[in-house]
Amino acid sequence: MKQEILQQFDGYQDVMKEIEAARKFGTDYAGFKGRVAAWIDRYHPARLTLRIGDILEETASTRTLRLVAPDRPLPPFQAGQYLALALRFGQVRTGRPYSISSSPRNTGYYDITVRRVPDGLVSGHLLDHVRVGDALESAGPAGTFVHNPVFHGNALVYIAGGSGIAPFMSMIRETLDCGLDRDILLLYGNRAADDVIFHAELTRLASRFENFRYVPVLEERGALNPPWPCQKGYITRDLLREAVGDLTCRMFYMCGPAALYDFCRRELEALGVPPRRIRQEAYGPPNHISQYPGWPEAVTEDATFRVTVKGSAPIPAHAGETLLTALERGGFAVPSQCRSGECSLCRVRLVSGAVYQPPTVLLRAADRRFGYIHSCAAYPLEDLCVEV
Amino acid sequence: MAARTAPEAVPLFAIVAGLPGKTEKSAFLTLVPPVLTGEVVWCILFTGCIRLMRMRLAELLEGLVELLEWLSPWAERRVPCSVRRLPWAVRRGVGRVGPVGRVGRVGRMKPMDKERVMSRYDVIVVGAGNGGLTAAATLAKAGVATLLLERHSVPGGCATSFCRGRFEFEVALHQLSGLGTAENPGPLRAVFEGLEVLDQLDLIVMEELYRTVGPDGMELTLTADRNAVIAELQRRFPHEKEAIAAFFEFLAAFFMEVVGLFYLKDPAPSRDSYPRAFSCLLKTTQEVLDQFFKDPVLCRALTAYWGYLGLPPRRMPFVDWAMMFLAYIEYKPQHIRGGSQMLSAALADTFLKYGGVVRYNCGAARIVVRDGQVEGVVDDQGELHLAKHVISNASRITTYADLIGREHLPDAAFAEMRGSSIGASAVTVYAGFDQSPDALGITHTTTFIGGCGSQDEEYEATRRLGCHDTTGLALTCYTRMDGGFSPPGTTQAALIMLQYADPWFKVPPEQYAAEKYKAADAMLARAEAVYPGLRDHLEEMEISSPITHLRYLGHPGGAFYGFDQHVKDSASFVSPKPPVDGLYLAGAWATSGGFQPTLDSGVRAARQVLKQLGK
Ligand SMILES: Cc1cc2nc3c(=O)[nH]c(=O)nc-3n(C[C@H](O)[C@H](O)[C@H](O)COP(=O)(O)OP(=O)(O)OC[C@H]3O[C@@H](n4cnc5c(N)ncnc54)[C@H](O)[C@@H]3O)c2cc1C
Ligand SMILES: Cc1cc2nc3c(=O)[nH]c(=O)nc-3n(C[C@H](O)[C@H](O)[C@H](O)COP(=O)(O)OP(=O)(O)OC[C@H]3O[C@@H](n4cnc5c(N)ncnc54)[C@H](O)[C@@H]3O)c2cc1C
Ligand code: FES
Repeated sequence: MKQEILQQFDGYQDVMKEIEAARKFGTDYAGFKGRVAAWIDRYHPARLTLRIGDILEETASTRTLRLVAPDRPLPPFQAGQYLALALRFGQVRTGRPYSISSSPRNTGYYDITVRRVPDGLVSGHLLDHVRVGDALESAGPAGTFVHNPVFHGNALVYIAGGSGIAPFMSMIRETLDCGLDRDILLLYGNRAADDVIFHAELTRLASRFENFRYVPVLEERGALNPPWPCQKGYITRDLLREAVGDLTCRMFYMCGPAALYDFCRRELEALGVPPRRIRQEAYGPPNHISQYPGWPEAVTEDATFRVTVKGSAPIPAHAGETLLTALERGGFAVPSQCRSGECSLCRVRLVSGAVYQPPTVLLRAADRRFGYIHSCAAYPLEDLCVEV
Repeated sequence: MAARTAPEAVPLFAIVAGLPGKTEKSAFLTLVPPVLTGEVVWCILFTGCIRLMRMRLAELLEGLVELLEWLSPWAERRVPCSVRRLPWAVRRGVGRVGPVGRVGRVGRMKPMDKERVMSRYDVIVVGAGNGGLTAAATLAKAGVATLLLERHSVPGGCATSFCRGRFEFEVALHQLSGLGTAENPGPLRAVFEGLEVLDQLDLIVMEELYRTVGPDGMELTLTADRNAVIAELQRRFPHEKEAIAAFFEFLAAFFMEVVGLFYLKDPAPSRDSYPRAFSCLLKTTQEVLDQFFKDPVLCRALTAYWGYLGLPPRRMPFVDWAMMFLAYIEYKPQHIRGGSQMLSAALADTFLKYGGVVRYNCGAARIVVRDGQVEGVVDDQGELHLAKHVISNASRITTYADLIGREHLPDAAFAEMRGSSIGASAVTVYAGFDQSPDALGITHTTTFIGGCGSQDEEYEATRRLGCHDTTGLALTCYTRMDGGFSPPGTTQAALIMLQYADPWFKVPPEQYAAEKYKAADAMLARAEAVYPGLRDHLEEMEISSPITHLRYLGHPGGAFYGFDQHVKDSASFVSPKPPVDGLYLAGAWATSGGFQPTLDSGVRAARQVLKQLGK
């Protein structure tokens, strides 16, 4: 509206005075240059260059890498969160999430504890090739597998399998170091006695603190060192009932391979634990996707298809591996973080072709409707065309 | 030196660095002729030989062609790039060409014509929030070559959703205003129709405005119908019966006057023809209410929507509240099945359908301005895209201070902005329950839970960390309108309180999570006073703070309504058009926040550009 008309409105002069005063005493926003970026970087940096400050040998197949940031404070994290490492092998740019195993109160470093996966690209690299002083790129800590004091309560049961102990280690260390009012029972499954990570520290903590109980569960016979009472077999409902006692009002957390989730969730539900009391960490793609419900029988895991990214030559992809893996192998840089279908960073548009998406993928209704998929949780069932 | 930590950068960076005795700039410029003579082949082979030797010749040549294409606009046009920035840009550019050639080409380049090197568009839209999306879709539909850059991985900005466990959570949309129905269309309907999203969306009309629960046990529910609102208010406040009737008559007449002034743009308005507007347009809501009512409880029940505008009645412009309140009554609040993300996705789809190019995970780092004219945008991967028109959906502050820079703007731009204050953000508890709304006793879609003091005290509380007894809250139960957000027998809801970012900036980072939980805990306790036992059925929860909004939107203060909207901040006093040729703003920081205004602002910005383009 023209100012000469506006001037006739009641209160015009007052508003003008207000404007004058506000501009005189207001904020010089030129000084905001870089400020938002600095805030984001403080909490959620997109890139973090870490250096390996120390390497701790945990078991024959597991190491802890102690990561420091030479030139900045480490962003805060909550016990249970992970670091998404970004790596590059020749043409291939990839990433892997690793849970932080150190306590969040420890602001000087992040520990990640890596167990060897047979033929694993990144675990192999981290166990065999990296040295103290090497740099590692990562994104800021992420993940939702954390204790929420608003409704999780303080009677907690942790169910870990193999390297799935890592996030729990962070939670246990925080709780005990800081004297938090939480009561923890850890059921930790492994194949053999030598596979148990952090055994010495766990026994030491369990003997010292009343609010922490530690129950190792071994598939195979073997002697733990230091000796500690252990259960044989799997984490079954009988074991749960016996170890936990009163099952009501407890929050159950699970972290480990897909097989552990499938098995233990069934056991917990059989014991009458409601879904809201079971929390489960993402743990990457399952090993044999074709065994999942809804997988088409006609397609075998080693079937190979062609994936065309709009405007480039096709690349090969196996039905048994995720589209993300195929794209990375083909030299495409696709952002990723959880690699478990949860965070949607690896979202791509499926222009044509069919993919299998496991029931665990967390796809927005709108993405489903408009043809977007999470490439880390999509398996080619035909030749595909996608837009990255 | 930088080249060592970024292996892909070796070849060209080495050339730049390897020309002795020259400044970076002249080195860069002298670089271009050798590129053209082919000397660069030698250079690249020499400096990056091991890596390059592994490449097939065809790949190498292809890479070189791309490199040449990429470099030529600087050679030809010398687009002024900040000298300090050059090596970085160059480095990134080469990264696309080297051994990982393919990486760069993934949707990264779409040259508009062959001699011009990198991409060129008619218009670039920065940000895919409501304003950016409607702007981009409008342009693409008009046949304008448009590039849309979005830093996040999904479109929508605020208008988005996220998933946890069995639940999908709506981030921002509580009640969509201004849409209306086919029989009684609101202004937003034409926008949706024009952008071909109306048919894509399943809209749910809410029959209720809200339930408000006051501190003193006062409880009132308003339906979305003028006569019903009047009747209910008169029943509850019999002592104000006449005043209520008079007020609603005034409101309707005021509404018509505002439409005449601002939408029909009467060229010669006078006090005689617009008496209510001349008297009340520049007043606050409370000032006008006080002319009619004595009962503060009535005023409070009437203005429960203040949180949707960000300022309490004593500061909120009367015209803003009146237009919103009447629009909700007239056209009824609506919900989109699948949430606002469905709208964002539909708008993005229209944009793509008409040939628009969108890049996610790709923010704008700089808007290139020369002699007061927009020349293009450099993205955060260092790539330059040329365009004479840019519509920014980033905040006005970010657009001026970060993307353009003080040196390219007249002083008046910052001088004007000084008068505005960064608006509120919020703390939201996104909650998934393992029982149905009925079982939980959540009877209404929208419940405003008043603080124990006045509305001014509620506003004061937005500047203090955490949730207090004086804090005002809103609980939106999405499952009551749309069961699709979670499995049957569960409930998805959001509990929100406005909060400014300032106190959050003072929290030490290691205390940040604890502060969020503390706030959420207190908010739930307040909600439980109205809907007891909620907490026992929580299955999933996520908490967003002003810092969360700052992170996902990139806005100062995480302010999702833009600047505080006092009377002095309205479009009548602040120029919406930035003083740079070819630059336009869309979204909350262009005018004011909320779904309807921001969706509308994008269309308006696009129309201005189309006019400039002669379309
Ligand atoms: C949130 C989260 C936290 C994690 N935390 C930890 C941690 O703390 N410690 C830890 O050690 N690990 C952790 N992991 C697992 C880790 O991210 C890696 O997945 C793991 O180290 C294996 O990576 P890799 O590159 O070594 O193996 P890959 O190269 O990915 O291969 C793994 C193995 O699986 C096979 N394989 C790969 N893909 C498929 C497929 N689709 N189908 C069948 N077989 C396949 C390969 O042949 C190989 O034998 C975490 C994962 C997640 C999601
Ligand atoms: C919790 C919450 C509750 C709300 N409740 C309501 C409500 O009930 N009713 C209502 O009407 N409104 C509500 N709003 C407000 C409403 O959602 C916003 O005002 C509106 O969506 C803002 O739209 P916008 O166009 O300004 O863009 P925004 O949503 O602010 O998006 C801006 C976009 O620009 C992108 N961007 C920023 N900088 C860059 C860059 N440099 N390069 C590339 N991209 C960039 C961002 O990533 C973002 O996607 C709410 C908002 C929130 C967060
Ligand atoms: S990387 Fe998180 S969803 Fe794919």
